[in-house]
Amino acid sequence: MKSLTMWARLKSPWVLHFNSGACNGCDIEVVALLTPRYDVERFGIKLEPSPRHADVLLTTGVVTRQCAERLKRIYDQMPEPKFVVAIGACACSGGVFKGNYTVLGGVDKVVPVNAYIPGCPPKPEAIIDGVVKLLSSLESSKPEAKTSASA
Amino acid sequence: MIKRVIDFWLFFRVLVFPGFTFILFFTLFCDWVERKIEARMQNRVGPAVAGPAGILQPLADLIKLLSKEEIVPTNAKKRFFRITPVLAFSIMVFAICFLPIDGSSAISSSGFAGDLIFVMALVTIANFLLFVSGWASSNPYGAIGASRVLTQFLGYDIPLFLLALTPAFLAGNLALSVIALSQYKFIPFIILTPWAFVLFIITLQAELEKDPFDIPHAESEVVGGLETEYGGGRLAFLHLTRDVQIVLGAALVVTFFLGGPYGPVFFGFPEFWYSLWFVLKVLGVVVLTEYITCLFARLRIDQVLTANWRILLPLSIVSLALTIAMVTWVYPLVI
Amino acid sequence: MPVPDQDSLVSVLQHKIGTVGNILPGQLGKATIQIESALNRKVIQILLENDDGACIIALTGLDLGEKIGLMYHIRTKGLVVTVKTEVSKEDPKIATITDIIPGANFHEREAADLLGVVFEGHPNLSRLVLPEDWPKDLYPLRKDAKLEGVSSKLADSQCNTQPEVKMQQSQTDSRLVNIIVGPQHPALLEPEKFSLKVDGETVMDVEPRIGYVHRGVEKAAEQRTYLQDVYLIERICGICNSCHALTFVGAVEKILKTEVPDRARYIRTIILELNRLHSHLLVLGHAGLEIGYETLFQYMWRDREPIMDLTELLTGNRVISSSMTIGGVRRDLKEEDVPKIKTQLAILRKKMDFYQNLYRNERSLKMRTQNVGILSKDDAIKLCVVGPVARASGVLTDVRKDEPYAAYGEIPFKIITRTEGDTFARLIVRLDEIDESINIIEYTLDNMPSGPYRVRVPRIVVAGEAVNRVEAPRGELFHYVKSNGTAYPERVKVRTPTFANIPAFLKTAIGGSIADVPANFVSLDPCFSCTDR
Repeated sequence: MKSLTMWARLKSPWVLHFNSGACNGCDIEVVALLTPRYDVERFGIKLEPSPRHADVLLTTGVVTRQCAERLKRIYDQMPEPKFVVAIGACACSGGVFKGNYTVLGGVDKVVPVNAYIPGCPPKPEAIIDGVVKLLSSLESSKPEAKTSASA
Repeated sequence: MIKRVIDFWLFFRVLVFPGFTFILFFTLFCDWVERKIEARMQNRVGPAVAGPAGILQPLADLIKLLSKEEIVPTNAKKRFFRITPVLAFSIMVFAICFLPIDGSSAISSSGFAGDLIFVMALVTIANFLLFVSGWASSNPYGAIGASRVLTQFLGYDIPLFLLALTPAFLAGNLALSVIALSQYKFIPFIILTPWAFVLFIITLQAELEKDPFDIPHAESEVVGGLETEYGGGRLAFLHLTRDVQIVLGAALVVTFFLGGPYGPVFFGFPEFWYSLWFVLKVLGVVVLTEYITCLFARLRIDQVLTANWRILLPLSIVSLALTIAMVTWVYPLVI
Repeated sequence: MPVPDQDSLVSVLQHKIGTVGNILPGQLGKATIQIESALNRKVIQILLENDDGACIIALTGLDLGEKIGLMYHIRTKGLVVTVKTEVSKEDPKIATITDIIPGANFHEREAADLLGVVFEGHPNLSRLVLPEDWPKDLYPLRKDAKLEGVSSKLADSQCNTQPEVKMQQSQTDSRLVNIIVGPQHPALLEPEKFSLKVDGETVMDVEPRIGYVHRGVEKAAEQRTYLQDVYLIERICGICNSCHALTFVGAVEKILKTEVPDRARYIRTIILELNRLHSHLLVLGHAGLEIGYETLFQYMWRDREPIMDLTELLTGNRVISSSMTIGGVRRDLKEEDVPKIKTQLAILRKKMDFYQNLYRNERSLKMRTQNVGILSKDDAIKLCVVGPVARASGVLTDVRKDEPYAAYGEIPFKIITRTEGDTFARLIVRLDEIDESINIIEYTLDNMPSGPYRVRVPRIVVAGEAVNRVEAPRGELFHYVKSNGTAYPERVKVRTPTFANIPAFLKTAIGGSIADVPANFVSLDPCFSCTDR
């Protein structure tokens, strides 16, 4: 039964995309994932509108002071099991904006991150690669373990 | 001893085939067909990894949702929040059980005179429960989505019912099995009243909340609509309710206009052939509705209401009058 | 568009204002007018009398040590005129101009937020880009602002604010229901909050709260060298990154009085037009998504991918091209790439026939976009909107023709305008501009001059200041750069097109149906990372 659940979770990761202070470069690459050239629906990935429906939170951009609380709230609203993927150099560490007066830094200052995908912006192929690596790492580890180490 | 055998057969028909299990898996299959068509129309591939050609994708979605954490918001009306998704789903499945699937309905010889009205009433009750589920989530988006569902299905129920009366009139009976059977003996009603078929398909698009009438699910306006606060298993049931409703709508079209499950029997026992024809015809209608979905943009709510009250309702009355006129005066001369 | 006699504007200014202010021709645009702070309204009034289509481009504030300098950059007859004034730091008060030019509303709020200037008579001087709980007397753009650790201190002491996703009764009118859209909402790619007050399905009022993406770029630019700033500035917005880079680089080149080689100017034009192509295809596809037409969205983004490939071919990256540098471009155009670019553009041109047909003839699309969100020409001028939004309302404004930069002065092309001013017009203007952009790129490729593609510039920039404008896909993009003779800029001011266009959205949304808000919004082509910087 557990392996059936694990199989289902791996084949149907629904994502929620949240921009917490990005320049839009990573966002348009994330939206490009749904378009015919990359088509992540093949992997069962669906873009969901509500945090309650999603399994994976794709965050882009630095965490600004203004968005920090909202990001935390969205993360809390997602039901378990949930994962966070930080897309782009800004989400990983703050990027070029590190040290600015309203920037807290990368996403892991606010929520635990399961996978970091660097790039400015990362190409859609890199994002797919990162998500697939995250899924296969889940397969080899226990289903309930939620680590904040990178995939 | 004999009584126990009869009971076993009843359970098998209700729970496995052509009852609950068959309906569930057929719904999941139709969901896969819809997603593939939508993807192909959009120049994409669609689900491809879960199972061969992605056919297990809806099943994976269902199991994943059932295995997620259950969250009930603090402000929600808890009892309604918990019950309405499962209840809506059960009522829809119950409604399908009245349709002839393999020659007779799931609860065999349960069809009664007037069960057409009963089935339509069940659909209305299930939609109303969906509205209650949106209202119970105490979320502004849920409330807006719920009110849109209510406005839409209440409005479109009327032309739907009027158009459903057309085949009843042609068959001279309000029982679904009789309507289907009379087409077998005579001719599928789509040929006799094509105008009713076309109008019924359009009204069905609105009842099923599909493009161009899918405003209750307009993500860009109401986030998740009535489903916004639901997650996990309850969301699975809300999705299933919607999918089963699509199968039910297609099955109604098949029963009313395309001759139900009845078709040529080549060899062997008829139940197999009837089920096969049923599956093929329902799939045909599902493909047709999905095709229409992909072609159009979404209408605004005031345009949806205008389309209903000013266009479809008068047209359905005209269609009924036309049918009566044709049957009374024209067809007896020709046929 | 008639090019005004170069000296007539200056002579008119000298005639009308010469007595009360100091006219410096040729500085910061066509001319700079230096006046006392009490005369700002009078001078702006004179400029409006001279040209009733005059608009405010930006309001730059900067810390001059003991005083705070304020510069009103006004666009009149297609050229820039700067009105320079100063207020004291202890009592920074100045009269507002929002009643004369309504479009100055946001600009004054931003100066109040970041520099602490008080505009007397402004209808609503609340916070614009800084968060609500920012300390009251801390103004980031002042040189003496202590900004270390402020953000993390605020983040730690997170007060549990009430969840705003609630149907509240509006305080002013109990019939109205408050719906809050954002910061996380599927319609918005970016986090911003809009409070819509609705009565049934009609929108009665819209209150935007921007600033969620404010990363303090202008302040950060002062702490990096000019070359590092090119990489910082282009990341203000990923979609129009080359435009930001070019505007900044152009301003610095004006200070340095660098002569950019011809080949570099032509290559810059190609990169900018590729930027415009991908941005317009993006927003046209996004418009499809907003009105529920997913098929259109998928098709348009599929056809956008070859443009990303071309950008990658030319500059090395799909989105953020990093191709502009002070003195030219970083990579040369290779001869073997030219036929590849031309082939892809020919394919795109043929596909555009399909989209032209679709947009003009598809009923469900027209039903959602025609007569929705109408912006009249007068409103467009008064609110100082720019770009396709202005051109769709009949305002003839395009920096490529008004003040040609890069190679635009030598390339023949048309400005696309329409008169209806509704959502449909705004989308069609962008659709037609795609065809024009393809023409421009092909002409540039056919007439590419040879020669060097960059020149060396000194690392330390002489003291001076300059303004530069570029026609980004969303409209007129404006940068002001001041240097103080070191390797670090003194002040960098960015005014993005969406910043100028948001008031227009507020105006067009009020009175319409709530279902029209997404379509209307996307026709504005908002880019909030540009707006907030």
